[in-house]
Order: sequence, then C-alpha cells, then structure tokens
Amino acid sequence: MTDCGCEKAKAELEEYLHNELAKADAADIAEHIANCDDCTGDAHVGTVLTQAVQRACRETAPSDLRDQVLLTLRTLQSNH
Amino acid sequence: MSVLLDRPAVLGRTVRAPLLFSSQAARTRGDVSLSAMTTSKDNSAKPVKSKAVAHEPVTEESEAVSEAPVVDVRTLFEDQAIPFMDQLYAAGLRMTRNPSDAADLVQETFVKAFAAFAQFQQGTNLKAWLYRILTNTFINSYRKKQRDPYQGTIDELEDWQLGGAESVTQGRATRSAEAEAIDHLPDSAVKDALQAIPEDFRMAVYFADVEGFSYQEIADIMKTPVGTVMSRLHRGRRMLRDLLSEYAVERGINTSGTRAQPATAGSKKK
Repeated sequence: MTDCGCEKAKAELEEYLHNELAKADAADIAEHIANCDDCTGDAHVGTVLTQAVQRACRETAPSDLRDQVLLTLRTLQSNH
Repeated sequence: MSVLLDRPAVLGRTVRAPLLFSSQAARTRGDVSLSAMTTSKDNSAKPVKSKAVAHEPVTEESEAVSEAPVVDVRTLFEDQAIPFMDQLYAAGLRMTRNPSDAADLVQETFVKAFAAFAQFQQGTNLKAWLYRILTNTFINSYRKKQRDPYQGTIDELEDWQLGGAESVTQGRATRSAEAEAIDHLPDSAVKDALQAIPEDFRMAVYFADVEGFSYQEIADIMKTPVGTVMSRLHRGRRMLRDLLSEYAVERGINTSGTRAQPATAGSKKK
C-alpha cells in the first residue's frame, strides 16, 4: 500500500483514463486517486471531457447518403 | 471463406459463404481472431495490420461451405459495414468540417471498402479497417483542399506555439467547478472547440474518446507511432479542456450559481 504519489498519477492519468495501463499500474493510480482530492479532481475533469466529446460527436448520416451508398454498391456489383 | 472472397470475380456473383459472424464462422475461427482483436491493449497482436489472407487453412471453411446458405457478398458487406455509417459520417464531419464533404468522404470510403472487401479478414476488427480507409481517403482526397499552415509539423511544435495555456488552468476555480462547467456546455461549444484544435490532435481525440480505439489501433489508423498518438491525444485533450473552460468562463457558466471569478481566469488567459 505505498502511494505512488501525485507525480506518477498526473503523468499517467491520461493513459489511466484510456485504459492503456497494465493492471498493476492502473491499480496504483486508482489507489492514489482515491486518496488524493487534487488528482480526483483531475481525473473527474478528464472523464467529463471524454463524455462531453462523446455527446457532441453523436451524428446520424443523412438518409440520402445511405440511399446513395446502397445504390452505388448495387451498381458496382452489377458491373463486375 | 477468404479463399472464396479473395477472387474479385466473386464479387458480382452469388457465392456460398459460411454464415460469417452470425454463427458458424464465429464459433470456428472467428472467435479466436475476435478475442485477439479486443484485447489489443498489449500491442502484441496487430490485428488491423493483417492484409494477407490468402493462405488460410481451408478445412473448416470447406466444410462450412457445403452446409451454409447462399450469402451474397454485397449483402454481407451491407450487413457488416453499412451499420458503421453514422460513426464514419461523424468522423468525416470532424475531418472535413462540413456536411457535404463528409457525405462525399463516407461514400468514397464505402466504395473503396467494398472493392477491397475481399482483403478484409473476417473476424478481425472491421470498424478499425473502415476507419483506416476513411482516414487514407481523407488524407489523399480532402486534406489537400484544406488550409492548415501547421500541417505536417504540428507534432514538433511546442505547446506555447500552439497557444496551449497552462496558466488558464492554474488561475481557475476548483476542478469540480471546471468539470461541472464542461459538463454543462452545449454540444455546439464542444464541436467548435474540436474544430479549433489541429486536425491530427482532433482525430486522435475522436478515435480515443468517441470510438474507444486503443492507442495501438489509433497508431495503425493514423499510421504513426504509438508515442505520437499519445502526444497528440494528450495535447489535444489539454487544448480542448482549456478552450472549453475558457468558453465556460466567458459565458459565466459556473457551478456555484454566482459569477465565479471570471476576472481572475479571464485576465490570465491571454
């Protein structure tokens, strides 16, 4: 139960948030975050940022694009 | 199956293919490659790299072929690839920054993907494969049209040259207020901020945060080392965070219900 400290936690926070750390490293960071208000805040901002981007990037392709693509595929196939 | 699909001539015809993905294929060979794909964090498997499919063992396939129902290649493509259209369109919008170019880009991507579908190895990550085609198509056809003075050198620029403003962060109210503010921003503000950061950073953020690709998968899609992906993603998110917090402060959006020190943050940001 040795705390990895803010320095390591902040350096690896992005990798931690993107699930890129090995299990043991991720556990270290998680443990530190649980005990550090400052790093908890950083992690929270990082998570909220991801969610904001996800929300903003939801799109539905126009239906005429869908029709056009399907039509093109049919044309391509019959030309083969 | 790959043996069948490998011949371009097959494209135009109705072929007997195993029930790809649906049942049999998934249980025989697909399972293995799928699990290799989804656990690509360890970077040992480079699933999206695999292009050579010509020499697959034929044993299971030929058995399956004899019992499987008739599957049309186009139907297969429509079933598997077309469902990604909304996502590809969303990515296209972030790339091209306008709906009509995004639609053209997606159309071109599907045409190329269909033509190359024989080279796609069933059971590997179709989404990543489609995104690679989308990205290549964008770079070859659209990026040239767009003006980005930093293009190509962006990774070498220092943060201060990019307008990254660490000082903004330091001068801000508490982190929970910042998170709350970002959480309450309209989508349009987030989109604007995304459009404002350099393209390679923007796409790294998009691939990681929206699509959930691993760093290795993004590296394959963007054809760049993993270290570069990390740098682009982290710097992109840093810039995004600063832009959004700035925006929130300008709009007086804060969590405490009062106007939380707009002067402090505002005065430090320039």
